[in-house]
Amino acid sequence: MEIRNCLPEETPGEREILELAMDAGTVLLENDAEIFRVEETMARICRHYGVESPELFVLTNGVFATGGGTTRVKHVPVRSTRLDKVAAVNQLSRDIEKGRYTIHQARQRLEEIREMPGKPAWLKILACALAAGCFCCMMGGNWLDCLAAGCVGVLLQALILWVCAPHLSRMIGNILCGGWVTFWCLVICALLPGRNLSPMIIGTILPLVPGIAFTNGIRDLADGDYISGAVRLLDAMLVFVCVAIGVGVVFILYHKVFGGAML
Amino acid sequence: MTLQVLAAILGTVAFSALFGAPRKYYLLGGVTGGAAWLIYSGLLHYAGCTATEATLLATLGAVFLSRIFAVAKQCPVTIFLVAGLIPLAPGAGIYWTAYYLVTDQLALARSSGFAALKAAFAIVLGIVAMFELPGGLFRTLAGRRKE
Repeated sequence: MEIRNCLPEETPGEREILELAMDAGTVLLENDAEIFRVEETMARICRHYGVESPELFVLTNGVFATGGGTTRVKHVPVRSTRLDKVAAVNQLSRDIEKGRYTIHQARQRLEEIREMPGKPAWLKILACALAAGCFCCMMGGNWLDCLAAGCVGVLLQALILWVCAPHLSRMIGNILCGGWVTFWCLVICALLPGRNLSPMIIGTILPLVPGIAFTNGIRDLADGDYISGAVRLLDAMLVFVCVAIGVGVVFILYHKVFGGAML
Repeated sequence: MTLQVLAAILGTVAFSALFGAPRKYYLLGGVTGGAAWLIYSGLLHYAGCTATEATLLATLGAVFLSRIFAVAKQCPVTIFLVAGLIPLAPGAGIYWTAYYLVTDQLALARSSGFAALKAAFAIVLGIVAMFELPGGLFRTLAGRRKE
Protein backbone atom coordinates (compact mmCIF):
# COMPACT_ATOMS: atom_id res chain seq x y z
CA MET A 1 0.00 0.00 0.00
CA GLU A 2 1.34 3.35 -0.93
CA ILE A 3 1.93 5.96 1.66
CA ARG A 4 0.34 8.58 -0.53
CA ASN A 5 -3.09 7.19 0.20
CA CYS A 6 -2.73 7.94 3.87
CA LEU A 7 -2.21 11.62 3.27
CA PRO A 8 -5.23 13.90 3.42
CA GLU A 9 -6.90 14.14 0.09
CA GLU A 10 -5.36 16.93 -1.91
CA THR A 11 -5.34 17.05 -5.65
CA PRO A 12 -2.38 18.89 -7.17
CA GLY A 13 -4.90 21.00 -9.05
CA GLU A 14 -6.29 22.60 -5.96
CA ARG A 15 -2.91 23.26 -4.53
CA GLU A 16 -1.87 24.88 -7.76
CA ILE A 17 -4.95 27.07 -7.78
CA LEU A 18 -4.39 28.24 -4.24
CA GLU A 19 -0.76 28.91 -5.08
CA LEU A 20 -1.80 31.04 -8.05
CA ALA A 21 -4.29 32.96 -5.92
CA MET A 22 -1.62 33.49 -3.26
CA ASP A 23 0.84 34.81 -5.80
CA ALA A 24 -1.69 37.16 -7.34
CA GLY A 25 -2.57 38.41 -3.85
CA THR A 26 1.10 38.86 -3.02
CA VAL A 27 1.78 41.00 -6.08
CA LEU A 28 -1.21 43.18 -5.22
CA LEU A 29 -0.23 43.51 -1.59
CA GLU A 30 3.41 44.30 -2.38
CA ASN A 31 2.19 47.22 -4.39
CA ASP A 32 -0.08 48.63 -1.72
CA ALA A 33 -3.45 47.53 -3.05
CA GLU A 34 -6.46 47.75 -0.75
CA ILE A 35 -7.12 44.71 1.43
CA PHE A 36 -10.58 44.05 0.01
CA ARG A 37 -9.14 44.09 -3.51
CA VAL A 38 -6.57 41.46 -2.57
CA GLU A 39 -9.21 39.27 -0.94
CA GLU A 40 -11.64 39.73 -3.81
CA THR A 41 -9.04 38.91 -6.45
CA MET A 42 -7.92 35.79 -4.63
CA ALA A 43 -11.51 34.67 -4.09
CA ARG A 44 -12.27 35.27 -7.77
CA ILE A 45 -9.37 33.08 -8.87
CA CYS A 46 -10.24 30.32 -6.40
CA ARG A 47 -13.90 30.40 -7.38
CA HIS A 48 -13.26 30.28 -11.09
CA TYR A 49 -10.89 27.33 -11.01
CA GLY A 50 -13.06 25.58 -8.47
CA VAL A 51 -11.52 25.55 -5.02
CA GLU A 52 -14.33 24.78 -2.62
CA SER A 53 -15.07 27.46 -0.03
CA PRO A 54 -11.65 29.06 0.39
CA GLU A 55 -10.96 31.01 3.55
CA LEU A 56 -8.78 34.05 2.94
CA PHE A 57 -7.27 36.37 5.49
CA VAL A 58 -5.14 39.28 4.38
CA LEU A 59 -3.13 41.78 6.39
CA THR A 60 -0.84 44.50 5.08
CA ASN A 61 2.19 42.24 5.46
CA GLY A 62 0.83 38.75 5.14
CA VAL A 63 -1.60 36.51 3.30
CA PHE A 64 -3.25 33.45 4.83
CA ALA A 65 -5.33 31.16 2.69
CA THR A 66 -6.85 27.78 3.18
CA GLY A 67 -9.09 25.77 0.90
CA GLY A 68 -9.22 22.52 -0.99
CA GLY A 69 -7.31 20.73 1.76
CA THR A 70 -4.32 23.06 1.55
CA THR A 71 -3.19 25.95 3.67
CA ARG A 72 -0.72 28.59 2.69
CA VAL A 73 0.79 31.43 4.65
CA LYS A 74 2.92 34.06 3.03
CA HIS A 75 4.83 36.94 4.50
CA VAL A 76 4.81 40.02 2.27
CA PRO A 77 7.46 42.39 3.57
CA VAL A 78 8.60 44.67 0.77
CA ARG A 79 6.90 47.80 -0.36
CA SER A 80 7.18 49.16 -3.81
CA THR A 81 4.33 51.16 -5.17
CA ARG A 82 3.71 50.20 -8.71
CA LEU A 83 0.13 50.94 -9.60
CA ASP A 84 0.61 49.44 -13.05
CA LYS A 85 1.10 46.02 -11.44
CA VAL A 86 -2.07 46.45 -9.40
CA ALA A 87 -3.99 47.38 -12.54
CA ALA A 88 -2.51 44.45 -14.47
CA VAL A 89 -3.37 41.85 -11.80
CA ASN A 90 -6.84 43.34 -11.54
CA GLN A 91 -7.28 42.94 -15.28
CA LEU A 92 -5.90 39.40 -15.13
CA SER A 93 -8.43 38.38 -12.49
CA ARG A 94 -11.28 39.78 -14.57
CA ASP A 95 -10.04 37.90 -17.62
CA ILE A 96 -9.70 34.71 -15.62
CA GLU A 97 -13.29 35.11 -14.52
CA LYS A 98 -14.35 35.36 -18.15
CA GLY A 99 -12.51 32.12 -18.85
CA ARG A 100 -9.77 33.57 -21.04
CA TYR A 101 -6.91 31.93 -19.16
CA THR A 102 -6.10 28.35 -18.29
CA ILE A 103 -4.35 28.06 -14.97
CA HIS A 104 -1.05 27.60 -16.77
CA GLN A 105 -1.44 30.71 -18.89
CA ALA A 106 -2.57 32.65 -15.84
CA ARG A 107 0.58 31.66 -14.00
CA GLN A 108 2.67 32.72 -16.96
CA ARG A 109 0.90 36.07 -17.19
CA LEU A 110 1.41 36.62 -13.46
CA GLU A 111 5.14 36.02 -13.89
CA GLU A 112 5.15 38.57 -16.70
CA ILE A 113 3.39 41.10 -14.48
CA ARG A 114 5.88 40.48 -11.72
CA GLU A 115 8.75 41.10 -14.10
CA MET A 116 7.22 44.22 -15.64
CA PRO A 117 10.02 46.76 -15.94
CA GLY A 118 9.74 49.85 -13.79
CA LYS A 119 9.93 53.36 -15.11
CA PRO A 120 13.51 54.29 -16.03
CA ALA A 121 15.41 56.51 -13.59
CA TRP A 122 15.50 59.51 -15.92
CA LEU A 123 11.73 59.46 -16.26
CA LYS A 124 11.25 59.32 -12.49
CA ILE A 125 13.65 62.22 -12.05
CA LEU A 126 11.86 64.21 -14.72
CA ALA A 127 8.48 63.40 -13.15
CA CYS A 128 9.68 64.47 -9.70
CA ALA A 129 11.08 67.71 -11.08
CA LEU A 130 7.87 68.43 -12.93
CA ALA A 131 5.75 67.62 -9.89
CA ALA A 132 7.87 69.84 -7.63
CA GLY A 133 7.75 72.72 -10.09
CA CYS A 134 3.99 72.47 -10.60
CA PHE A 135 3.17 72.19 -6.90
CA CYS A 136 5.41 75.18 -6.26
CA CYS A 137 3.33 77.15 -8.76
CA MET A 138 0.12 76.05 -7.00
CA MET A 139 1.50 77.29 -3.70
CA GLY A 140 1.99 80.73 -5.23
CA GLY A 141 5.60 80.65 -6.40
CA ASN A 142 6.54 82.64 -9.49
CA TRP A 143 8.13 80.98 -12.50
CA LEU A 144 11.69 81.34 -11.24
CA ASP A 145 10.69 79.70 -7.96
CA CYS A 146 9.12 76.88 -9.92
CA LEU A 147 12.26 76.41 -11.96
CA ALA A 148 14.33 76.28 -8.79
CA ALA A 149 11.88 73.84 -7.20
CA GLY A 150 12.18 71.68 -10.32
CA CYS A 151 15.96 71.58 -9.92
CA VAL A 152 15.62 70.61 -6.27
CA GLY A 153 13.11 67.97 -7.41
CA VAL A 154 15.83 66.44 -9.58
CA LEU A 155 18.20 66.32 -6.60
CA LEU A 156 15.45 64.86 -4.41
CA GLN A 157 14.62 62.02 -6.78
CA ALA A 158 18.31 61.29 -7.27
CA LEU A 159 18.68 60.95 -3.50
CA ILE A 160 15.62 58.69 -3.30
CA LEU A 161 16.76 56.46 -6.16
CA TRP A 162 20.39 56.01 -5.23
CA VAL A 163 20.55 56.48 -1.47
CA CYS A 164 17.19 56.15 0.29
CA ALA A 165 15.57 53.29 -1.60
CA PRO A 166 18.52 50.88 -1.59
CA HIS A 167 20.19 51.75 1.71
CA LEU A 168 17.96 53.49 4.24
CA SER A 169 14.94 52.62 6.34
CA ARG A 170 11.72 54.42 5.58
CA MET A 171 11.91 56.74 8.58
CA ILE A 172 15.52 57.83 8.23
CA GLY A 173 15.09 58.08 4.49
CA ASN A 174 12.21 60.51 4.83
CA ILE A 175 13.96 62.62 7.44
CA LEU A 176 16.94 62.83 5.13
CA CYS A 177 14.74 63.73 2.15
CA GLY A 178 13.01 66.51 4.08
CA GLY A 179 16.35 67.89 5.19
CA TRP A 180 17.91 67.53 1.74
CA VAL A 181 15.09 69.50 0.11
CA THR A 182 15.26 72.27 2.70
CA PHE A 183 19.04 72.44 2.43
CA TRP A 184 19.05 72.95 -1.33
CA CYS A 185 16.19 75.43 -1.21
CA LEU A 186 18.12 77.45 1.38
CA VAL A 187 21.24 77.28 -0.79
CA ILE A 188 19.31 78.56 -3.80
CA CYS A 189 17.76 81.33 -1.74
CA ALA A 190 21.19 82.37 -0.49
CA LEU A 191 22.70 82.41 -3.97
CA LEU A 192 19.78 84.03 -5.76
CA PRO A 193 18.16 86.66 -3.57
CA GLY A 194 14.49 87.34 -4.04
CA ARG A 195 13.30 83.73 -4.21
CA ASN A 196 10.24 82.68 -2.20
CA LEU A 197 11.47 79.97 0.12
CA SER A 198 8.16 78.57 1.36
CA PRO A 199 6.46 77.70 -1.96
CA MET A 200 9.71 76.12 -3.11
CA ILE A 201 10.03 73.85 -0.10
CA ILE A 202 6.32 73.00 0.03
CA GLY A 203 6.29 72.18 -3.67
CA THR A 204 9.32 69.95 -3.41
CA ILE A 205 8.19 68.01 -0.34
CA LEU A 206 4.82 67.20 -1.90
CA PRO A 207 6.25 64.35 -3.99
CA LEU A 208 7.22 62.74 -0.66
CA VAL A 209 3.60 62.63 0.52
CA PRO A 210 2.55 59.00 1.10
CA GLY A 211 -0.59 59.30 -1.00
CA ILE A 212 -1.27 55.62 -1.57
CA ALA A 213 -0.69 54.53 2.03
CA PHE A 214 -2.97 57.32 3.24
CA THR A 215 -5.89 56.84 0.82
CA ASN A 216 -5.83 53.07 0.96
CA GLY A 217 -5.46 53.14 4.74
CA ILE A 218 -8.66 55.14 4.99
CA ARG A 219 -10.45 52.84 2.60
CA ASP A 220 -9.30 49.79 4.55
CA LEU A 221 -10.68 51.37 7.72
CA ALA A 222 -13.95 52.14 5.97
CA ASP A 223 -14.16 48.52 4.83
CA GLY A 224 -13.68 47.34 8.41
CA ASP A 225 -10.11 46.10 7.91
CA TYR A 226 -9.03 47.92 11.04
CA ILE A 227 -5.62 46.37 11.57
CA SER A 228 -4.43 46.96 8.02
CA GLY A 229 -6.00 50.39 7.83
CA ALA A 230 -4.41 51.44 11.11
CA VAL A 231 -1.01 50.14 10.01
CA ARG A 232 -1.18 52.06 6.75
CA LEU A 233 -2.35 55.27 8.40
CA LEU A 234 0.42 54.96 10.96
CA ASP A 235 2.85 54.50 8.11
CA ALA A 236 1.53 57.62 6.39
CA MET A 237 1.63 59.66 9.61
CA LEU A 238 5.22 58.59 10.24
CA VAL A 239 6.25 59.76 6.80
CA PHE A 240 4.57 63.13 7.37
CA VAL A 241 6.25 63.55 10.75
CA CYS A 242 9.65 62.43 9.45
CA VAL A 243 9.58 64.88 6.56
CA ALA A 244 8.65 67.64 9.00
CA ILE A 245 11.53 66.64 11.28
CA GLY A 246 13.94 66.78 8.35
CA VAL A 247 12.75 70.25 7.39
CA GLY A 248 12.92 71.44 10.99
CA VAL A 249 16.41 70.09 11.67
CA VAL A 250 17.89 71.85 8.67
CA PHE A 251 16.19 75.10 9.67
CA ILE A 252 17.71 74.81 13.14
CA LEU A 253 21.16 74.07 11.73
CA TYR A 254 20.86 77.06 9.43
CA HIS A 255 19.91 79.18 12.39
CA LYS A 256 22.84 77.91 14.46
CA VAL A 257 25.39 78.42 11.70
CA PHE A 258 24.30 81.79 10.40
CA GLY A 259 22.64 83.05 13.57
CA GLY A 260 20.50 86.12 13.69
CA ALA A 261 16.85 86.37 12.81
CA MET A 262 15.31 83.24 11.47
CA LEU A 263 14.86 83.67 7.73
CA MET B 1 -5.98 80.61 -11.19
CA THR B 2 -6.05 79.11 -14.69
CA LEU B 3 -2.30 78.75 -14.43
CA GLN B 4 -2.63 77.02 -11.06
CA VAL B 5 -5.21 74.56 -12.39
CA LEU B 6 -2.91 73.79 -15.31
CA ALA B 7 -0.07 73.29 -12.86
CA ALA B 8 -2.31 70.97 -10.83
CA ILE B 9 -3.09 68.88 -13.91
CA LEU B 10 0.55 68.68 -14.95
CA GLY B 11 1.79 68.06 -11.40
CA THR B 12 -0.77 65.29 -10.94
CA VAL B 13 0.31 63.62 -14.17
CA ALA B 14 3.91 63.74 -12.97
CA PHE B 15 2.86 62.29 -9.64
CA SER B 16 1.02 59.42 -11.38
CA ALA B 17 4.24 58.65 -13.24
CA LEU B 18 6.16 58.58 -9.95
CA PHE B 19 3.75 55.96 -8.61
CA GLY B 20 4.03 53.90 -11.75
CA ALA B 21 0.45 54.29 -12.93
CA PRO B 22 -0.09 52.92 -16.45
CA ARG B 23 0.57 55.60 -19.03
CA LYS B 24 -2.89 55.45 -20.58
CA TYR B 25 -4.43 56.70 -17.33
CA TYR B 26 -2.17 59.74 -16.87
CA LEU B 27 -4.57 62.14 -18.50
CA LEU B 28 -7.63 61.11 -16.52
CA GLY B 29 -5.59 61.25 -13.32
CA GLY B 30 -4.54 64.75 -14.31
CA VAL B 31 -8.14 65.74 -14.93
CA THR B 32 -9.10 64.47 -11.49
CA GLY B 33 -6.29 66.44 -9.86
CA GLY B 34 -7.10 69.58 -11.85
CA ALA B 35 -10.77 69.32 -10.90
CA ALA B 36 -9.88 68.90 -7.23
CA TRP B 37 -7.71 72.01 -7.27
CA LEU B 38 -10.30 73.98 -9.27
CA ILE B 39 -13.02 73.16 -6.74
CA TYR B 40 -10.71 73.81 -3.81
CA SER B 41 -9.31 77.16 -4.85
CA GLY B 42 -12.63 78.27 -6.36
CA LEU B 43 -14.46 77.69 -3.10
CA LEU B 44 -11.65 79.16 -1.06
CA HIS B 45 -11.29 82.40 -3.01
CA TYR B 46 -14.74 83.05 -4.47
CA ALA B 47 -17.28 81.33 -2.24
CA GLY B 48 -15.92 82.29 1.16
CA CYS B 49 -15.43 78.70 2.34
CA THR B 50 -12.83 77.84 4.96
CA ALA B 51 -9.90 75.69 3.88
CA THR B 52 -11.38 72.65 5.61
CA GLU B 53 -14.77 73.01 3.91
CA ALA B 54 -13.12 73.55 0.55
CA THR B 55 -10.92 70.47 1.08
CA LEU B 56 -13.96 68.36 1.95
CA LEU B 57 -15.93 69.42 -1.11
CA ALA B 58 -12.91 69.11 -3.40
CA THR B 59 -12.30 65.59 -2.04
CA LEU B 60 -15.91 64.66 -2.73
CA GLY B 61 -15.52 65.91 -6.29
CA ALA B 62 -12.22 64.09 -6.85
CA VAL B 63 -13.51 60.79 -5.44
CA PHE B 64 -16.67 61.09 -7.53
CA LEU B 65 -14.65 61.55 -10.72
CA SER B 66 -12.22 58.77 -9.75
CA ARG B 67 -15.06 56.31 -9.28
CA ILE B 68 -16.60 57.16 -12.62
CA PHE B 69 -13.25 56.83 -14.39
CA ALA B 70 -12.50 53.56 -12.60
CA VAL B 71 -15.79 52.04 -13.70
CA ALA B 72 -15.47 53.39 -17.23
CA LYS B 73 -11.92 52.09 -17.63
CA GLN B 74 -12.39 48.99 -15.46
CA CYS B 75 -9.29 49.51 -13.42
CA PRO B 76 -8.51 50.04 -9.73
CA VAL B 77 -9.90 53.32 -8.46
CA THR B 78 -6.66 53.97 -6.55
CA ILE B 79 -4.92 55.08 -9.74
CA PHE B 80 -7.18 58.11 -10.15
CA LEU B 81 -7.86 58.62 -6.48
CA VAL B 82 -4.25 59.02 -5.38
CA ALA B 83 -3.49 61.27 -8.32
CA GLY B 84 -6.62 63.35 -7.77
CA LEU B 85 -6.15 63.88 -4.06
CA ILE B 86 -2.49 64.85 -4.15
CA PRO B 87 -3.11 68.57 -4.78
CA LEU B 88 -5.20 68.59 -1.61
CA ALA B 89 -2.53 66.93 0.54
CA PRO B 90 -1.64 69.24 3.43
CA GLY B 91 1.99 69.66 2.40
CA ALA B 92 1.88 73.33 3.31
CA GLY B 93 0.51 72.39 6.73
CA ILE B 94 3.47 70.10 7.43
CA TYR B 95 5.92 72.73 6.31
CA TRP B 96 4.48 75.61 8.32
CA THR B 97 4.09 73.46 11.43
CA ALA B 98 7.73 72.43 11.26
CA TYR B 99 8.78 75.99 10.50
CA TYR B 100 6.86 77.57 13.39
CA LEU B 101 7.96 74.82 15.78
CA VAL B 102 11.65 75.42 15.17
CA THR B 103 11.25 79.19 15.15
CA ASP B 104 9.57 78.80 18.54
CA GLN B 105 6.28 80.37 17.51
CA LEU B 106 4.26 77.74 19.29
CA ALA B 107 0.82 79.33 18.95
CA LEU B 108 1.24 79.54 15.18
CA ALA B 109 2.67 76.02 15.09
CA ARG B 110 -0.38 74.75 16.94
CA SER B 111 -2.85 76.45 14.65
CA SER B 112 -1.15 75.34 11.46
CA GLY B 113 -0.75 71.82 12.83
CA PHE B 114 -4.45 71.68 13.60
CA ALA B 115 -5.25 73.11 10.19
CA ALA B 116 -3.27 70.30 8.56
CA LEU B 117 -5.05 67.77 10.77
CA LYS B 118 -8.45 69.23 9.89
CA ALA B 119 -7.60 69.06 6.20
CA ALA B 120 -6.58 65.41 6.62
CA PHE B 121 -9.85 64.64 8.38
CA ALA B 122 -11.80 66.43 5.66
CA ILE B 123 -10.10 64.20 3.09
CA VAL B 124 -10.92 61.12 5.18
CA LEU B 125 -14.55 62.14 5.50
CA GLY B 126 -14.81 62.93 1.80
CA ILE B 127 -13.39 59.56 0.76
CA VAL B 128 -15.51 57.55 3.18
CA ALA B 129 -18.71 59.40 2.31
CA MET B 130 -18.29 59.12 -1.43
CA PHE B 131 -17.51 55.41 -1.25
CA GLU B 132 -20.85 54.85 0.48
CA LEU B 133 -22.67 55.63 -2.76
CA PRO B 134 -23.68 52.38 -4.47
CA GLY B 135 -21.52 51.11 -7.33
CA GLY B 136 -24.57 50.83 -9.58
CA LEU B 137 -24.88 54.60 -9.70
CA PHE B 138 -21.40 54.92 -11.14
CA ARG B 139 -21.98 52.14 -13.62
CA THR B 140 -25.04 53.98 -14.87
CA LEU B 141 -23.15 57.25 -15.07
CA ALA B 142 -20.29 55.62 -16.95
CA GLY B 143 -22.80 53.98 -19.27
CA ARG B 144 -21.86 50.46 -18.31
CA ARG B 145 -24.22 47.66 -17.33
CA LYS B 146 -23.33 45.25 -14.57
CA GLU B 147 -21.55 42.30 -16.09
